Amino acid sequence: MRVPVGVKLSAFALVIMGSYTYFANSIPQIESKPPAELSLEGGDVSPAQLVKFGEEIFHTKGTCEICHKIGEKGTRAPDLAGVGARAAHRRPGSTAKQYLIESLLEPQAYLVEGYPPIMPKVDKPPIGLNRSELWALVAFLESLGGTVDVKLDDIPKTAGAPAGGGGTAAAELTLPGDPKAGQALFTGKAICFTCHTVDKIAAGKIGPDLTQIAKIQTPQYIMAKVLNPAAMGTVPGYPKGVMPPTFGQMLTAKEYVDLVAFLLTLK
Amino acid sequence: MTSAATRRRVGHAAATVLFLAVFTHALPAAAQELVREPAYRAFPLIGSRLAVWAVAQLHLNFAAFILGVPVFAVIIEIIGWWTGDPKYDWLSHEFVKLVFAAFSTTALLGALLLFLFVGFYPRFWAFMTNIFVTTYWIYALLFFAETFSVYLWYYGWNWLSGPRKWLHVSLGVVSNLFGIAILFIANSWLTFMMSPTGITESGALKGSVWGAIHNATWMPINVHRLIANLVFGGTIAGAYAAFRFLNAETDDERARYDWMGYIANFVALSAFIVLPFAGYWLGREIYAFNQTMGITMMGGFMSWLWIIQAILIGVLFFGNNYYLWLGMERIPGSERYRKYIPYMLSILALGFMVWATPHSLIVTLQEARAMGGTHHPLLGVFGVMSAKNTAVNLMILTTFLSYVLYRRANKLSIRSWVLTGMAVQWAAFVVAAAIVVFYGVYGYFVESIVRIGFSVYQVGAVLGAIVLVMTIDVPMFRGARSTGPIRWGQIPPRSQYVLILLAVTFTWLMGLMGFARSGIRQYWHVYGVMRDTSVDAVTPALGYASNMITLVTIVFFAFVMFIFWLGGLSERGEAGAHAPVVAPTGAGSRAPRR
Ligand code: HEC
Ligand code: HEC
Repeated sequence: MRVPVGVKLSAFALVIMGSYTYFANSIPQIESKPPAELSLEGGDVSPAQLVKFGEEIFHTKGTCEICHKIGEKGTRAPDLAGVGARAAHRRPGSTAKQYLIESLLEPQAYLVEGYPPIMPKVDKPPIGLNRSELWALVAFLESLGGTVDVKLDDIPKTAGAPAGGGGTAAAELTLPGDPKAGQALFTGKAICFTCHTVDKIAAGKIGPDLTQIAKIQTPQYIMAKVLNPAAMGTVPGYPKGVMPPTFGQMLTAKEYVDLVAFLLTLK
Repeated sequence: MTSAATRRRVGHAAATVLFLAVFTHALPAAAQELVREPAYRAFPLIGSRLAVWAVAQLHLNFAAFILGVPVFAVIIEIIGWWTGDPKYDWLSHEFVKLVFAAFSTTALLGALLLFLFVGFYPRFWAFMTNIFVTTYWIYALLFFAETFSVYLWYYGWNWLSGPRKWLHVSLGVVSNLFGIAILFIANSWLTFMMSPTGITESGALKGSVWGAIHNATWMPINVHRLIANLVFGGTIAGAYAAFRFLNAETDDERARYDWMGYIANFVALSAFIVLPFAGYWLGREIYAFNQTMGITMMGGFMSWLWIIQAILIGVLFFGNNYYLWLGMERIPGSERYRKYIPYMLSILALGFMVWATPHSLIVTLQEARAMGGTHHPLLGVFGVMSAKNTAVNLMILTTFLSYVLYRRANKLSIRSWVLTGMAVQWAAFVVAAAIVVFYGVYGYFVESIVRIGFSVYQVGAVLGAIVLVMTIDVPMFRGARSTGPIRWGQIPPRSQYVLILLAVTFTWLMGLMGFARSGIRQYWHVYGVMRDTSVDAVTPALGYASNMITLVTIVFFAFVMFIFWLGGLSERGEAGAHAPVVAPTGAGSRAPRR
């Protein structure tokens, strides 16, 4: 019996596609997942739960601790202990709630005396908190010495969700720092060069090569590692506790931002 | 006009009207409902994402076909008009017939896609509408214009012949212009989703809609798709010819479809050669627009995708060369050139291997440390741009050489300067290859910003060689002594399987590139502006994507076969309408003039 041409061709085509499909299934399978997000819209939450969520965000996604401490003065940002009470008097005419919301969404609108304008808008990338998260965070800040009275509706509708499609999240990190100045710090005052190698810039051998650090590590990790090396784990094969934990005290806020801006160019 | 033809025509018109009705009605409704409407609804069983994916890919396949084929159909018609050779006119008509058959399917799929967006992604659709509503109307009008001009072009073939042929050719040109305009508008929507510009933070237009249309990736995608459509149209038409060839009952028919397959593949090949450059341009614009997106694309979770792409492109190069080599068998006198084939084969194989070497694969932190970076110490040398550019340029040169040898297979030049001519040609090949290799190696010793500039020299050298060789080749073989006519139809049947291989591979490749284009947005509908908050926000891995691509490609070919089969039916009904055609059995590819 003669097989019709159409059948032969179809079988041939199926074999071709089958082999492509087989190959594509045999390689490492990597999905790209959206970052986890907290959504409380429409949900029933007690103020206590809200504060707990807010604290969680403060420590994790909000990355506030890069600059702030609670109960101790950070080198580059005010101590946030008691901010819930203090907020009511910061700005004439603003309630504590209004002031706190403003300091998250428009940090430059009112500068605490003696601090530089480096705080990012936390509903914008890279931090990119959504409305629910802002709500929880404000509740947490209020709980630091004040009363928790913030409602979801107090957070402007435009915050964190510019196009009505849910929150935004990190798209690109742009730091206001100057990478050139950062490089000078790296090879000078901050003494990183004594331990680290960077192609054509430094040749230290005590710590890992940082030539491509921004490619293999997230900005969050890099920022935190400089301030608190021990908390970020130790790179395997390298001694623990050698990388100094004192850069947080040693560098000014501007220097820190410049240095990180430089590190992020290493890829 | 037969009643069957009338019915068909009414059917086409009805499809178009339906499409436009849906299109225009969807807008105000969607905008009004915005407040009350949910952001998403779930498509039954398979979910909204898969539904949109399948329909979008199918729609794109068909659209690419009906936009790509007319471009070369009109060129072939012009050649026929110029030379007075009826076989070109026959071929052009044959191509347009295929387009025509696929026309209403394209429109219906477009309408279906629109239904899905309006119904299942209402908030996204409303957002896009707010920005692009002006273009919707223009698109709809252009669609009218395109439909009617193609109808006239197709149906007016006999009516507008003879002294009115110029009118007919103009119709072909005009419908192509409409088609390209349609493509550009549709591209503005999807490139905006990748690289949004021209809007405020709250998602409203800043200035005119032009600001959103004219975004960073718009022009690169326009060019890339236009070229890719040509390749795609060529390979599908080639597959059609192969199908007809293998089914042919007479030598005459076999000769005709052998020739059609050859021309279709020639079109595909010529366009395919420039495609990688358009691709680099697009890639560069993506990097320039947003580093993160560029890195996600080339080095992040998509890095393996480019290896698959390289394999597919390798298959396409091999297939094309093999087809040309097989084609030599129908040309007496080609034995002289067989000895070059093994060398060409090895260059292709080497180039292919380099190209398939990964640049930087996603690695865990531990792996990266073990390797001392994200580049493999050895493979890394071949994994970078420089090596890849070199490889692809050499593969293009080799393919061009195959073509040159094919061209002269049955020709003996009668020019006195033939030795000089050939020497210059070979020199052009060698010099171009040397330039390509030189800059490829030199590229390792300079900054990447300088290196990017090198690819321009490499491409320039290759294109320069192509132009120079052809300028010598054409006069050198004009009026050449023939070692015998091309025996159209006497090509081994496996060559026709190669044509099928090319069509299937390119279609699959298009599916893959579609996944790449839309996957790099990751969990964004509109990158950095509107998040995907649906259950489908996860971008799937390649295995899953390839299963989907394969399924849709199968459906596409099933559709295509059905439509082609329908076309064959009507042909039998209208026997004689366009049948009396000179079989292209004349010397070379040049048939005697009537
Ligand atoms: C890059 C460093 C940086 C980061 C990250 C940062 N802040 Fe700040 N923040 C500052 C500085 C500096 C000030 C004081 C100057 C000003 O008012 O802007 C400040 C001020 C504030 C204030 C007002 C304090 C007062 O006493 O009035 C609040 C509240 C606050 N930040 C909360 C946060 C929260 C919550 C986060 C995490 C989501 C955060 N900040 C992240 C640097 C930062
Ligand atoms: C006294 C030596 C020393 C100095 C000075 C030093 N580091 Fe390190 N660094 C290390 C060592 C050792 C490690 C690896 C062990 C660890 O992870 O703590 C390391 C790890 C790191 C890492 C993580 C690398 C990876 O692959 O994950 C970063 C980033 C880094 N250092 C940045 C810096 C910067 C920026 C400076 C200057 C401000 C600096 N270091 C100064 C010794 C040093």
